[in-house]
Amino acid sequence: MDKALFRNKQALIGLTLMLLVSLIAVLAPLIAPHDPNKMNALSKFLPASREYPLGTDHLGRCVLSRLMYGARYSLGLAVPTLLALGGIGLVLGTTAAYIGGRFERAFLIVGDMFMAFPPLIIVLSLVGALGQGMGTVLAALIFSMWIWYAKVIRTYAAIEKAKDYILAAKIAGCSGLRIVRHHIVPNILPQCIVLLSTRIASFILMVSSFSFLGLGFEAGTPEWGAMLSQGRSSFYSHPNLVIYPGLCILITAAGFNLFGEALRDVISPEEASQ
Amino acid sequence: MILIMIITIENTCKKGHENELFTYIRKRLIGLVIVLFGVTVLSFLLANISTVDPAEALAHRIIRNPTAEKIEEIRTEMGLNLPLYQQYIHWIGNCLKGDLGMSLLTKNQVSYDIAQKLPATMQLVGMSLLWIVITFIPLSVISAVRKNSFFDQFVRGLTILGISIPSFWLGFVFLLLFAVTFPVFKVIDYGNIKSLILPSLVLAIPTASSFTRLFRATVLSNLNKDYIVYAKARGISANRIVWVHVLKNSLPPIVTLFFQHLGYLLAGSAVVESVFSLKGIGLHLLNAVQARDLPTINGCVLVIAIIFVLCSMLADGINMLLNPRITDKGEALHG
Repeated sequence: MDKALFRNKQALIGLTLMLLVSLIAVLAPLIAPHDPNKMNALSKFLPASREYPLGTDHLGRCVLSRLMYGARYSLGLAVPTLLALGGIGLVLGTTAAYIGGRFERAFLIVGDMFMAFPPLIIVLSLVGALGQGMGTVLAALIFSMWIWYAKVIRTYAAIEKAKDYILAAKIAGCSGLRIVRHHIVPNILPQCIVLLSTRIASFILMVSSFSFLGLGFEAGTPEWGAMLSQGRSSFYSHPNLVIYPGLCILITAAGFNLFGEALRDVISPEEASQ
Repeated sequence: MILIMIITIENTCKKGHENELFTYIRKRLIGLVIVLFGVTVLSFLLANISTVDPAEALAHRIIRNPTAEKIEEIRTEMGLNLPLYQQYIHWIGNCLKGDLGMSLLTKNQVSYDIAQKLPATMQLVGMSLLWIVITFIPLSVISAVRKNSFFDQFVRGLTILGISIPSFWLGFVFLLLFAVTFPVFKVIDYGNIKSLILPSLVLAIPTASSFTRLFRATVLSNLNKDYIVYAKARGISANRIVWVHVLKNSLPPIVTLFFQHLGYLLAGSAVVESVFSLKGIGLHLLNAVQARDLPTINGCVLVIAIIFVLCSMLADGINMLLNPRITDKGEALHG
């Protein structure tokens, strides 16, 4: 499997982009030429120079340094949230599939109710009710997205549960919990990893669109969506301040999309053609 | 209305038309009522976890420096001292009459504001849907038929770009390209179809890209099925097989997804409306959030959620007409 993945050109390009962005995120304090938050009233809107490789913004802050720190916010938020969502999905999805019957039906109906609210709507109404803040946005994300993961994982678990070896395990006297933990979960885990890896890019896009709308991060945070939103006031005179952060988001999302898809093609090819 | 439909169908069934289809429709309608009920409860709860005391907020809007007694008076008057379930019953009663309360920001009826803003968003979403449909079906079918050809590779690359692009950024790039560098469109323009072209494209591109990818895979798996061999054996032309037989069998999952995305486009319009300064419901909701105008937020959330639920029912209906043998909800595909 590893060899197949490394022979896949698409996977390699994706992996390179992912590693590049992650490396920048980790090393930001070491490689950034300036403090991302240091303002300088004398150096507003400077063009690119040796001192400031990508110029400065409306407060005289180094654009390149801010973009480098921005990688931390995008990855630092998306990866843990997605892992939490995957965990919730795995527990609820396998439980619903294993117990089945009325419990499963109730789960699906509750799921339909939650699915009627697009994540942006939940985020907007929670921020409206509870006020700004990263915590609110995180809670809203988990509240609105859990069902999407739980539902897909339930389908995986239901397919696994119908296989003969589960019946054999039951006859052999395995308890329900043991079957779920030792048989169903390990067997659907690769599919779940693929699911998460194909979703991570759209998740990064979503979070950056929230911060573009002013939801989540405090004003002035060097997060890409927020930087783009600040750049719009001087968009027609200095379009670069909008173009650069957007390009960073695009590159990051493309990296994860390319890799996620290649991973899916290698781990579960049947999924790709469903 | 839905209740009447259920009762009518119930009666038809009793008259001896014990037919699978009717049982199915009845089941779906009962499901719909339960989901709609749940959606209203969720909207109500979302509205009520607020840290802002609505009685106090209202009192400050009506009178300057309200006393504690005055606030209590308003609380009693508005029924805000009642238990939560009674408040819900009161609220849902008003909603059914079309009364969603008064906006703190515009001082209009929330329902009036929504009725004013919804058409602009509907036009935007409608035009995006048009773009999506006219692009994804031909692109994906041709890609699938000519698998691994140059065209297929090209579309693959293009759609990867499409699902990786932040839509708000794309909006700015379009403005820069088509309104500043090549002034084909105006930067700020209202009320005509031309003004909707750029925003609707921005809204459509990510969805059209992901649909193209999904649909290509569905068409591919259908191309390998036995009925294709049978159709070929019957001497049906290759074109007819692809564009009639395969298409008809590939559509159900994407129809479900299509209507599901309508709700997302409705919400996603907030971003696009913000970039292009379009006065639609998305921007209205965004402004309401910034002003913490709770009645407006709740009204918009409820309306969008209900539109979403109705759309998913419409998707089931269309699937049933397209493919009567499917009696289970077409499971949505994701990727």
